Amino acid sequence: MGTAVTHAPATEARAKDPEPRHGPGTPPRPADLKRRGRRENLAGYLFMSPWIAGFLLLTAGPMAASLYFAFTDYNLFDAPRWIGLDNFSEMLGDPRWRHSVRVTLWYVAVGTPVKLLVALGVALLLAQKRRGQAFYRAAFYAPSLIGASVSVAIVWKAIFSDDAIVDRTQKVFGIDAGGWTGDPDLIIYSLVALTVWQFGAPMVIFLAGLKQVPRELYEAADVDGAGKLRQFWKITLPMISPVLFFNVLLETIHSFQIFSSAYIVGGGAGGNACGPADGSMVYTCYLYVQGFENSRMGLASAMAWMLLVAVALVTAVLFWSQKRWVHYEEGGR
Amino acid sequence: MQQGKGVERRAVLKAAGASLAVTGLGATATACGGGSGSGDGTVTIRYAWWGAEDRAQRINKTIDLFEKKYPKIKVKTDFQPYTDFWKKFNTQASGGNPPDVFQNAVGFLRKYDAKNVLLDLHEQVKAGHLRMEGFRAGLEKFGEIDGKLLGVPVGSNSMALVIDKPVYARAGINPEMGWTWDDFDEAMARVRDRTGRAGDSGMYGVMYLYDLYLRQNGKAFFTEDGLGFTEGDLTRWWTKAEKGVRSGLFADPKKVAQIKPKSALSAELAGSEFTWDNFTVRYTSEGRSEYGLAPIPTTDGKRTGQYLGSLMLSASKRTQHPVEVAKFIDFMVHDPEVATIMGYDRGVPATTAQYEAYRPTDPVNKAIAAYEESLVKAGVLEPITPHPNGADICEAAFLRIGEELGLGKRSVGEAVEQFFNESKTALSS
Repeated sequence: MGTAVTHAPATEARAKDPEPRHGPGTPPRPADLKRRGRRENLAGYLFMSPWIAGFLLLTAGPMAASLYFAFTDYNLFDAPRWIGLDNFSEMLGDPRWRHSVRVTLWYVAVGTPVKLLVALGVALLLAQKRRGQAFYRAAFYAPSLIGASVSVAIVWKAIFSDDAIVDRTQKVFGIDAGGWTGDPDLIIYSLVALTVWQFGAPMVIFLAGLKQVPRELYEAADVDGAGKLRQFWKITLPMISPVLFFNVLLETIHSFQIFSSAYIVGGGAGGNACGPADGSMVYTCYLYVQGFENSRMGLASAMAWMLLVAVALVTAVLFWSQKRWVHYEEGGR
Repeated sequence: MQQGKGVERRAVLKAAGASLAVTGLGATATACGGGSGSGDGTVTIRYAWWGAEDRAQRINKTIDLFEKKYPKIKVKTDFQPYTDFWKKFNTQASGGNPPDVFQNAVGFLRKYDAKNVLLDLHEQVKAGHLRMEGFRAGLEKFGEIDGKLLGVPVGSNSMALVIDKPVYARAGINPEMGWTWDDFDEAMARVRDRTGRAGDSGMYGVMYLYDLYLRQNGKAFFTEDGLGFTEGDLTRWWTKAEKGVRSGLFADPKKVAQIKPKSALSAELAGSEFTWDNFTVRYTSEGRSEYGLAPIPTTDGKRTGQYLGSLMLSASKRTQHPVEVAKFIDFMVHDPEVATIMGYDRGVPATTAQYEAYRPTDPVNKAIAAYEESLVKAGVLEPITPHPNGADICEAAFLRIGEELGLGKRSVGEAVEQFFNESKTALSS
């Protein structure tokens, strides 16, 4: 993961000077080149074929099918019946759907920034030269490797339920809120805590970005008498803004897709899928309920496409906004 | 790594963004079928049910018995809690790969018959692989819907008030057949005041109980194709519920939500719970107290509105081995030894052979027998109407919205409106 800034001229320069890829020796004639090129292309596609087959069968095909189902009434058993935009209008009129949108937006809007702030803060600490930094880096990174698993979600549920460690700790401080997982208003906080706990992944990316900031800039700032805080705002933040942008993008999209942790913490086996009083009913949870509990696959497909469009829009807005705050250093290094 | 810098950062970011956005999709289930026969004539059938661990242990023992008697038939098992069972079943069935034989109940017969999932067992009866004689109390008719035999009852059960006996004793309450809802309300208050425990676990969300209340008043939860009560009826029921939760008569729904899949009664959050009478078997293995059965409160001092419910075994239409499945069902409902293993776990055995083979000796099963007998004696049992397609979704919505009401997330008016909206959608599809 090279994080330093690069720039278009570098690529242009390379394009003008095509590098011979077929080893040393006399340059081959154009006709030979063409044939060889075609053969190499074929080989390339052959090597890619497992992936292409997987993509077509497991991604593109189902996607196309789901796009079709989105405009049908489909219960999995009977043939889908074309109903045009009815699924979409039903969705918009459904208070439970609107509730799930609110829950998801809240989760994204709170969870993502908090997670990134923690990741950046810890990365700043770990970027300094101290003893044992490698150990800390590994230790902080570890949760993000296992955090998305079902087993961790089950542990999480146990930690935040009635009379468990969080509840008891609260009681020591005189707060008697009961378990979070049974409270329709608190359960979403336990999910935010779960995502923040996995700050390791963006942290590592931040760390890589911090390492690439040229030391000379700080030295010059020191000479000019800029304090640490000012150095952070004026040097560190602009210099790592591409990395920050990458993390914001990645984490936002991830947050929109939250499912398994919400499903497990919110209910899991024997419970309702979405937490008490739909307290943790994120978008994908409701999609699951409509698709698999209520057998309304057409509606669920329509919901999936709505999510795709929403995430695409958010991504587009983020890309548009980067002009204002993301700095790609001119000239590369 | 120096070379790697040549890659355009923006290009990488864009590609990453695009590919992540694409993964936002995907709710398409795939299931694959598999063959189940083998060269030496041994056949494997898949059997699925819902229940808890103790039921699984009993069922596994009965399967050992079956496999000993029919060495050419192997049985593969699978079980989940109630709601998860139906999710999995639904997905499997839609993928053309349902279990060959599975536990079923009256609320699902029409639904899955409409979806062409259930095998009409009449043919197997005619061929002599499945005997439909020797059932108690007309139970052989329970699985017959619209002229098709879609399920074979394994047992009968009825709704009851399952009580924590020591708690009721401490509160000094001894409910008798014919007690009224006023008596019940008073009992709830006494349990709360004298034992510090909520009286009930959350009766307001139990569809099968509200059904009884409606029947006592000449209505029913379901008609042949819709809901049998008005928004005004439900408003009254839930207004009372809201007060009960606020005043601690009913268990704190926050706590109840967290101990799932354990029940509020066995987790000692409440002194009693309205459910099926065979649940005392499960609660006894789950909880530490002693559990007994009390009658359903009445409106007029007589009618409880009760009917016999029944768990059944159904076969799927797509099974490759209808004969083996029929033999399996036949064995499970008629074999006396099965009854001694199962006890009243799935209700009082449906056939007289099994009923007579198992004479309960422990207090829990004895109490179930006594309770069922008392219902017959009091003559309160009425016929059951088959549920319409979509009934299961209404049942789940009733429970969920009732919980939301208990948690204070909805007013009574909002809850009633939401329930009627969701039911209308479920019953019309």
